[in-house]
Amino acid sequence: MTIKSYDELTSLEIDTLREIGSIGTGNAATALSQILKREIRITQPEVRIMGYNEAIEWIGGPEHVTAGVLVKMGGQLNGIMLSVQQLEFVNLVLSSMLGCEIDSYENLGELERSALVEIGNIMISTFINALSGLAGVDVQLTVPAFAVDMQGAILAVPMAEYGGMSDYLMTIGGNFVFEGKQVPCHLLLSPDLRSLNFLLAKLGVSNG
Amino acid sequence: MDSKLTVGIADMKLLQGSGILITYALGSCIGLCFHDPRLHLGALLHVMLPLNMEAGRKNPLKYADTGIRETLRQMEAKGASRSRITVKIAGGAKMFEIADKNSSLGNIGQRNIDSVHTILRKENIKLLAEEVGGTVARTLLFDVASGQGCIRSYGHKDIIF
Repeated sequence: MTIKSYDELTSLEIDTLREIGSIGTGNAATALSQILKREIRITQPEVRIMGYNEAIEWIGGPEHVTAGVLVKMGGQLNGIMLSVQQLEFVNLVLSSMLGCEIDSYENLGELERSALVEIGNIMISTFINALSGLAGVDVQLTVPAFAVDMQGAILAVPMAEYGGMSDYLMTIGGNFVFEGKQVPCHLLLSPDLRSLNFLLAKLGVSNG
Repeated sequence: MDSKLTVGIADMKLLQGSGILITYALGSCIGLCFHDPRLHLGALLHVMLPLNMEAGRKNPLKYADTGIRETLRQMEAKGASRSRITVKIAGGAKMFEIADKNSSLGNIGQRNIDSVHTILRKENIKLLAEEVGGTVARTLLFDVASGQGCIRSYGHKDIIF
């Protein structure tokens, strides 16, 4: 049976997606650790199926400003992958890579912006590579896009993209732990419904 | 100033007399401030997509077409007159520049703006002011007593409209 809405996922399917998330974010953390030359782990990843307004509260409120790196997936899986980078994470990246920190996003220069895009892109690509290898699916990624703005509007991008299909947003993702300190950096995978069904079938857990 | 009443995504709220309605972080979404000045009746609608093509139509407020019609219906039920109702809109921005021709992603904001214009014209509702497009998210506040709107954006001055 294929699902028609994210809230129809069974617990077995959610467990499988969590496992995918775990492997994906694990690979992303390793890649990040190598670039920044710091010890980075991940927290237990979560699969969440949320209503729109619930999702925005979950990420920390609509008006809070964050940096977002967005990549669109195409090929056998369609969807959006987002790296939502809050200031604490941004400063960890900037201090490790460029030896500087910022106290506000307004102080982001060209160099800092491209560092954040690159970090976001590397995490997303490693996540997707792990996923496509595991499931045996071919996924193409667009060039990353970058925005600094209210996170409610950033999160609304995957919602609007798939809003015609579902009143829920599904995210698979986790947080990073830098040298023992938990730092929010949401890595969110939002596949469209057709792709989610396809992925579950490829992994052998869909019941039909 | 009264406390503010929050309107979520795919949501609408009405207030009469006085009070502030607020909806946060409009990206490609559009916020619409409906106002009947004689009744001091105001409604704030936050729509996400241009056209309702869902089979079940469970959530009319998610879409510009069904959302606008539902808001007008509720205002008229409170005695508002279509000839007096005016609308101000904000939103329809493009948050990310995606280099993918097949994607509708960057386009949703513009499609929302076009759809809102079309529906308002069809319903004979006067569009008083708009702050739309661009690449910046907007928080929209609406004072139902005066009909005045205010837009808050990151890194920009507030806009009164």
